[in-house]
Amino acid sequence: MNENETRLKIQALVDGELTGREAEELRARLESDGGLRALHARLTAVRGLMAGAELPRTLPESGDFHWSQISQAIGHGEREARRLAKPALGANWLLRWVMPLAGVACLVLVLSLQQTTMPDLNILLSGDHELEFTADEIDVMTFNTGDDAMSIVWLDYSIDLQQDSLQLWLD
Amino acid sequence: MPEEPAYSSAEEPQLVEWAKSGDMQAFEELVARYRDRIYVRAYSIMRNEDLAVDLSQNAWVKAWQRLEQFHGEASFPTWLSRIVTNLCLDELRRQKRARMDSIEAMEEATGPVENRMELETVDPIEGLGREELRERIDAALAKLSDKHRTVIVLYEFEQFEYREIAEKMGTSIGTVMSRLFYARKRMASLLKETLKRDGLIE
Repeated sequence: MNENETRLKIQALVDGELTGREAEELRARLESDGGLRALHARLTAVRGLMAGAELPRTLPESGDFHWSQISQAIGHGEREARRLAKPALGANWLLRWVMPLAGVACLVLVLSLQQTTMPDLNILLSGDHELEFTADEIDVMTFNTGDDAMSIVWLDYSIDLQQDSLQLWLD
Repeated sequence: MPEEPAYSSAEEPQLVEWAKSGDMQAFEELVARYRDRIYVRAYSIMRNEDLAVDLSQNAWVKAWQRLEQFHGEASFPTWLSRIVTNLCLDELRRQKRARMDSIEAMEEATGPVENRMELETVDPIEGLGREELRERIDAALAKLSDKHRTVIVLYEFEQFEYREIAEKMGTSIGTVMSRLFYARKRMASLLKETLKRDGLIE
């Protein structure tokens, strides 16, 4: 054991942190070593001085410590906790499941309505055809959901089209 | 209308129970009773009035939020004291990240001059009253580095064991022992210096 280790162990003995065989051995060394005994005595004296020596203080009168600030912070914390807890049960669940499902349901509904209401114009559309409508002939609704990276565009063109005019646009 | 509880004369465990059930007035009474004590602990570690006020205030907010975790193993003020101590240690860590503690780090690595000095014998109780001694000890504490003062406060005032201090400060037990030894030696030296200066000792 070097000198530094010995000093730290004597301190541990003074602090009651050294127990068992190690403590016994050190006590035996203290009996035969005046230098170590003196160190033990000095450490004990410093420890005695420090015990309970924390200076009592009162909160400064001019300071910012106020019950109103504590109660405000508590209130704010509780509101924040409620705000964070709420979406987990309500809005998050709604955004994650109900909204996308509603979107899909709308799409299915639109497609099925198209099947039943679209006039049979006997027009075969190839892939490269574009349909053009003026803004007042068509209603467009879009639904975006960032969570699912999905956009639904709902085109409502259930308007009274004359077969000849539609044919004209489709060339 | 039910009668309002007599908060100012209520026993501490009763106030704690009321506060746990959401009674803010009971909590306010606890704040009134222990606010100075919590402030003292924060000040002992931080040595800065404004920071000590802020941290003790934060400790009360945290205490309210964690009241359910208080089961009376320690006394309520001891539990509170642990909360404010933890906040102070967090603040010291934050400050340490913000500035390089290079001189202290260098001293600890190479061994400062004081490590080679003898531990002074200080027995000033005969020459001084307890209050005056406390003030001198307080002034000496203010001259220690953050880490040496913290280890003294945690050991002597907060009454943590070495192992607990090591955990709190994120270091080894050996380092705690070494810092405590150095801090005591420095305290003894500072106290002796001031007593000598005032002619209280030879």
